[in-house]
Amino acid sequence: NAVAQAKESAYKLDDPVAPYSAVTSYNNFYEFGYDKDDPARLAGRMKTDPWSVTVEGECDVTGTFNLEDILKGIMLEERIYRLRCVEAWSMVIPWIGFPLKDLVGRFRPRSTAKYIEFITLADKKQMPGVASVFSTIDWPYREGLRMDEAMHPLTLMAVGLYGEVLPNQNGAPLRLVVPWKYGFKSIKSIVGIRFTEQQPHTTWNQIAPHEYGFYANVNPEVDHPRWSQARERVLPGNLFSPRRVDTRMFNGYDEVAPLYKGMDLKVNY
Amino acid sequence: MARNQLLNITIWTALLAPVVYIGVMIVRIQNGEWDLLGPEPGRAVTQFLGTWALNSLLLTLTLSPLKRSPLSINLISYRRRMGLFAFTYMLLHLLAYMTMMLGWQWQDLNDEVVKRPYMVVGVFALLLTIPLAITSTRNWQRRLGRRWKKLHYSVYLVAALSMVHILLQVRSSWTEFVVYSSVLSLLLIERLLNRQKTA
Repeated sequence: NAVAQAKESAYKLDDPVAPYSAVTSYNNFYEFGYDKDDPARLAGRMKTDPWSVTVEGECDVTGTFNLEDILKGIMLEERIYRLRCVEAWSMVIPWIGFPLKDLVGRFRPRSTAKYIEFITLADKKQMPGVASVFSTIDWPYREGLRMDEAMHPLTLMAVGLYGEVLPNQNGAPLRLVVPWKYGFKSIKSIVGIRFTEQQPHTTWNQIAPHEYGFYANVNPEVDHPRWSQARERVLPGNLFSPRRVDTRMFNGYDEVAPLYKGMDLKVNY
Repeated sequence: MARNQLLNITIWTALLAPVVYIGVMIVRIQNGEWDLLGPEPGRAVTQFLGTWALNSLLLTLTLSPLKRSPLSINLISYRRRMGLFAFTYMLLHLLAYMTMMLGWQWQDLNDEVVKRPYMVVGVFALLLTIPLAITSTRNWQRRLGRRWKKLHYSVYLVAALSMVHILLQVRSSWTEFVVYSSVLSLLLIERLLNRQKTA
């Protein structure tokens, strides 16, 4: 299949990749539960084929599309990115995907499209977390990017990892990967894309605006109110010598710095 | 004697089982089964010990209502030992955090402990239990007389601070906080009602 034939790309890291079992067993995917191992246990019941994505808003091509139709002719590549979770841990993951800008172009956004909003599937029947009454989340999960962030060559739409189709717990069949932002920006199992003029509401920002900003760029100088972001635990970790390393600005992806020229990132965190 | 001994063994086993379990897990992880507790084993161990600190603390507070209940099960003579277990689990919880999550990197202490209200509250709760643990012997009980009971009332403060400790960490689910604080509330309400009855 196409995923197995994905080409290598120039996007690589020197750090060793996390083992497959770590990447696929330790997930935040609250639609399936709040423990890190809930998604791996419970996401199997999510039906990812057929899958459709609804595109709407400030673009010329709108409608509901089958995933295969959306991805027709798109070239897949492997990219090894560091994923930095807002919880102060990180993993190095070999994704299979394509630049988001390739997809965005197909919908011909208008000049009024300043932002792009993404929506995750929210189905009580398939997702126990969505059905839970103790949840602090107003489903469906939403995320968003500014248009120039979405069009940046680093911004990836992933359909696989380790040369395989994405496991459900990792956001099958289609997920975002924005490596210079905290992991929660990289929304999973996308069913909706909306081009907007106004900055969209995003889930974590709505739950706790003083803890999670819209931008959520990895930034060692802006602490989460409850923990420091200056350092991170590289996973998988050792019990008696946890691999704590300094967190880098933009997660080490310095090439995105021009996107935020003139912005105070302590205010726009 | 047989019944007493059986009870003794049961209670010790129940209180020791979690620490034995996690001990075995740690040994197995160190011996190559690296992902037995997932890719962040230090965090898993720390959380496990915290959960059992809380469980044994609440269990300790259940003994007097259990005696007063229609079942009138009297395990009061185990209460101080159970309290000591709670103290031990709290201590191990902090120790695991410092070792397995912070790696004893002192430069992080200010960033991760002093500046974080949930950590300050947790450490304060642990400090409050130290005098209780020290004075938990029969000898101290005799020496302090009436003041012993007064001193040990601070266990309620420890329990309340533990609730704050988990409340301040809530991110996406209220379940844990709701369950634990409901249990503690029930235990406290029973005591209030009992006080009114005996007053």
